[in-house]
Amino acid sequence: MNPGDPGPMDGAAPAGRPPEGQEAPPAHHRRPPGPPPEPSGPYPPGAAPGGPPVPGGLPEPARVPGYGAGAPAGRLSPLILLIRPVRTLPSLFLPLAGLLFASGFSPVSLGWAAFGVLISVGFAAIRWATFTFRVTGDRLELTRSLVSRSVRTIPLDRVRGVDVTTPPLHRLLGLAVVRVDTGASGGKGQEGELDGLPLAEAERLRQILLRRSRAARGEPVAGGGPVAGGGPETAAPDSGAAAGRPAPASAAGQDRVHVRVPRRWLRYGPLSGAYLLTPFALVGGAVGLVFQVGQEFGVGERAAISAGDWLWHRPLLLAGFAVLLVLAMPVVGGIMYALFNWDFTLRGHETSLVAERGLVTRRSVALEHARIRGYEIAEGLLERRADVGRLWAIVTGLGDSRTRGQLLPVVPRTFAARTAAEVLGPFGAELRAHPPAARRRRLFRAVAPGAVLAVAAAVPGWYWITLIGLALAAAGVPLGLDRYRSLGHGWDGTRLSVRSGSLPRSQAVVERRALVGWTIKQTWFQRRARVLTVIAGVGAGSGGYPAVDTGEEQGVGFAAEVTPEWLAPFLASPPGPADS
Amino acid sequence: MPVPLRVPAHRVSPRAIALWLLRALAGFVLLVGGAALLASWIDDARWSWLPSWAVSNIWWLPVVVAAVELPFLVVEPLWRYAVHRWELAGDVVYARSGWFSRQWVFVPVSRIQTVDKEQGWFERVLGLATVEIRTASYAGSSSIQGLDAGVADHLAHDLAHRAHQLRDDAT
Repeated sequence: MNPGDPGPMDGAAPAGRPPEGQEAPPAHHRRPPGPPPEPSGPYPPGAAPGGPPVPGGLPEPARVPGYGAGAPAGRLSPLILLIRPVRTLPSLFLPLAGLLFASGFSPVSLGWAAFGVLISVGFAAIRWATFTFRVTGDRLELTRSLVSRSVRTIPLDRVRGVDVTTPPLHRLLGLAVVRVDTGASGGKGQEGELDGLPLAEAERLRQILLRRSRAARGEPVAGGGPVAGGGPETAAPDSGAAAGRPAPASAAGQDRVHVRVPRRWLRYGPLSGAYLLTPFALVGGAVGLVFQVGQEFGVGERAAISAGDWLWHRPLLLAGFAVLLVLAMPVVGGIMYALFNWDFTLRGHETSLVAERGLVTRRSVALEHARIRGYEIAEGLLERRADVGRLWAIVTGLGDSRTRGQLLPVVPRTFAARTAAEVLGPFGAELRAHPPAARRRRLFRAVAPGAVLAVAAAVPGWYWITLIGLALAAAGVPLGLDRYRSLGHGWDGTRLSVRSGSLPRSQAVVERRALVGWTIKQTWFQRRARVLTVIAGVGAGSGGYPAVDTGEEQGVGFAAEVTPEWLAPFLASPPGPADS
Repeated sequence: MPVPLRVPAHRVSPRAIALWLLRALAGFVLLVGGAALLASWIDDARWSWLPSWAVSNIWWLPVVVAAVELPFLVVEPLWRYAVHRWELAGDVVYARSGWFSRQWVFVPVSRIQTVDKEQGWFERVLGLATVEIRTASYAGSSSIQGLDAGVADHLAHDLAHRAHQLRDDAT
């Protein structure tokens, strides 16, 4: 995410992000036929995907990465060798210092230390020498051939954004890190990273990648960068401005307020359990402060410890204090909840949903409609008793979606469901129950630990632990049954839904178009019970939404029902003994 | 197979058995070595809270670990070879993997974001490769291990090319 980009709300407008302003005019965006007039100069213009590379004159004195199959592959700047060893230094420093001190700075140990440093420099040099990259017709290839050889191929039309950052050390040497964001899930490992290109070169590479990726997608305008999902979360004191974004003609009057959560619903707050531990945190903070300030005034630790000692010998006082803290939990928790969720408002703002909340700091998060793929309703155990729940949006390209994608705080469940249906679309089907084997498995898992504990404790004769184990096992019965009741999956023709959870239950509703694949898993135990877990891969939210322990036919049938064109070729012919 | 899915068309390379055997062997050596180390440690320290019969017979520990692990060492590679299969049909990659636990993955080519061909150390020696197919979700991503390097090359190339033609990554 680079917050420097203007947000996604103007995604449809012709004006794009800053770098696009200086790029080829729209006429050239679709596979430029000839060399278009581009400011990026010496680089061959975007060759048509798969077409012959344009070698062009490459008069740049510096080493020019080959942006075509014919040109030499690009390399990182050797200056990066000055940075990488420095970065590994902190991890090397301690052992080296230890070695030197332990041996009293003897020549041999100095030699070893030098050897260690040399190794790390050498390793960096080898890594640098074996890493190359090139942009061929329609893809970026990153090749690393150290001991094992790996080629990462990134199709250019998958590129959603290119990030150029300059950490301090890089800035000193005029280098930059280029990150190619493909919107792929998982950590950085799945993206392309070029660590250590000269800054100008990085900028040019970025422009070329972005331009070609747009050309490859056949889009006249940028579809939105990596930021597009969320937009920067900012504190906006004025409730009219959404996330501090340039929203020219849209006054607050134009917005449509979907929901303004009434203040009396703040009383549900403590049920969420979110802020219940705040009293303990406050006390901890106070004790820490006392220690710090005490030292300033020369009271010292001794006095503090003796005070603690004094308290320790008055258990009644201590117990009273503890009870007070516990009693304060719902109160303080409720106050904190109210501070953060004061006047929670959900409004429609042109192409986005904007959620605003907070008393002291007013927070406002904008979620672009085009990026919302579904929603999730969560209810904790206490919340279920009170029939209330919380609502989140499932958004593509939004990190930390659990805090940022929140659409409603704790509100009555039917209200949350109605709001979700109105704002994001209804789910019009019943959830299907999972087979009895799933109930058996839930029960077994809930009861077994307690039972095992009871038996294990009974052998040496620790009967009171046996009692605890039995109590746990007994408590496992309602827990297991409840977990079974949480299970369910359904499909209404546009959206699929899965529900699961033990104490907190959560139901996800996801649009079909957000699906990127299916994973079906079956452990050995599941195979014995003839159940399996079907995970709907979704390029948004947590990435995968599982239907746990469906029947074998039921689960495969579910996937085949939602995306028949993907699974039909692979379904076993109905009856008949299957092979293998 | 009671699961109503047909078996993917292609097996992986038979050399993959050697690959899995090597990997299992490495794990086996680590595990038995670790057990032996633990045994020597306990033998030295003579922990009093352990029953004395356990301490005096502690050298059976690595032996037992080895005996328990040995069948798996043989079974896992063969079992995997029977299970691991893949297929590309109707612009969907369909792969099955696992041994004790199984996994079926369906990845439509239109949703693919990156295709990586990777060769680890063992794989390089054996002329094998892994094709990693990634989408915007971990649950729609798949890796096909133990492919012949040439086959993997083709597959990775075809997938990247076709993904480019279809391109609709749903994000």
